[in-house]
Amino acid sequence: MPTVLVIAARDDWPTDRVVKALTDGGAEVFRMDTAEFPQELTLAGRLDARQGWSGGLTTAHRAVDLADISAVYYRAPNPFDLPVTMSEPERRFAAAQARAGLGGIITALDCRWVSHPAAMSRAEYKPLQLATARTCGLAVPPTLITNSPDAVRTFSGDVGAPIVCKPVATPVFIEDDQLKITYTRRVTEDDLDDLRGIDTTAHLFQAWVDKAYEVRLTAVGDQLLAAEIHAGSDAAHADWRSDYNSLTYRATTVPEPVAEGVRRYLSHLDLRFAAFDFIVSPDGEWTFLEANPCGQWDWIEHKTGLPIADELRGTPA
Amino acid sequence: MSTAIVHPREVFPLAPEGGRITYSSAPPSAPDSRPWILRFARVPDAAHATVKPPAVYDNELQMSRGLYDGPLPYMQTHSPTIPDGNPGNPPPLDEGAKD
Repeated sequence: MPTVLVIAARDDWPTDRVVKALTDGGAEVFRMDTAEFPQELTLAGRLDARQGWSGGLTTAHRAVDLADISAVYYRAPNPFDLPVTMSEPERRFAAAQARAGLGGIITALDCRWVSHPAAMSRAEYKPLQLATARTCGLAVPPTLITNSPDAVRTFSGDVGAPIVCKPVATPVFIEDDQLKITYTRRVTEDDLDDLRGIDTTAHLFQAWVDKAYEVRLTAVGDQLLAAEIHAGSDAAHADWRSDYNSLTYRATTVPEPVAEGVRRYLSHLDLRFAAFDFIVSPDGEWTFLEANPCGQWDWIEHKTGLPIADELRGTPA
Repeated sequence: MSTAIVHPREVFPLAPEGGRITYSSAPPSAPDSRPWILRFARVPDAAHATVKPPAVYDNELQMSRGLYDGPLPYMQTHSPTIPDGNPGNPPPLDEGAKD
């Protein structure tokens, strides 16, 4: 029986919503987290001249034949949970074997993906996102990625307007026993007076784009579900992630040239899901900021009524 | 399908061992060695954090269910990334890159 394979952390509750939508629609679902392998999940994949990968993925609760998997929903699963009795070299060896064995078979499945993990990994990189958006006809802010203080000063002068700094990769880290976040920072003149530390790693700077509001556009297959995000504080105006409580939302439509660019972007990076962030200027121009191939969507659905889970249900089936 | 050559880890990306965000008690270093952008990092406001209801994973339902009567957990919370600064309660790491 055709089955949708859902690969996600057990505590990823938005995935619960997708599973519920799928099962309510009559789909057969096999949900797993890679952390279940090898202790709770058994793999017995076979391939021969007659057919591609077949055989079982089995847990204590259910089983699926690899040949029956018609679609895969993939969302940030956990590392393999290996026996604690393993030595460190054994763990590294076993983890690599598991990735190549289980991960290799799963990624070789010829079916619909939301989205293929290799495509998602590649699409995580902001420099690629910006280059792809530009290629696909979307407006992007002038951008600098550098470890040179002089390049920062030159960029700031060339832009001739305020600039922002934002992390190129994850904004979250733990130090001093505390979890910290780096949000988008609107750079001040005082900031530019002391650029010690720029040379320690890559930093991303962009021209500040005047905004009336921002848009979170959740793309699911061909469906583009867009929500205006209106900031209610200065902090949220610079980075809406920094003050969720001040935000208000409204479902909106996507200008056709932007929609065409987004669809080209998805096709270019082989994605069937992405959460796009745009700035909309006071004169209505949409500027691409980033597109997260594993972005959050549950709260947008809740705030706006946009049927994202239903679209996700339709896309993998 | 992407034709880019990527590292095997990136073909099948998983959260790193030890958790999505590495724990550390190390304090910030000096301005000359600390990434410049980190001078603007801040601890999230715990008052804005979303409190998740207690839940367990139900293998039959293939989703989490609450410890008490009431709607399923996913129906009770719609939390975006609002962490509280507690290293034991990191945000769902699906805003931004996953490394």
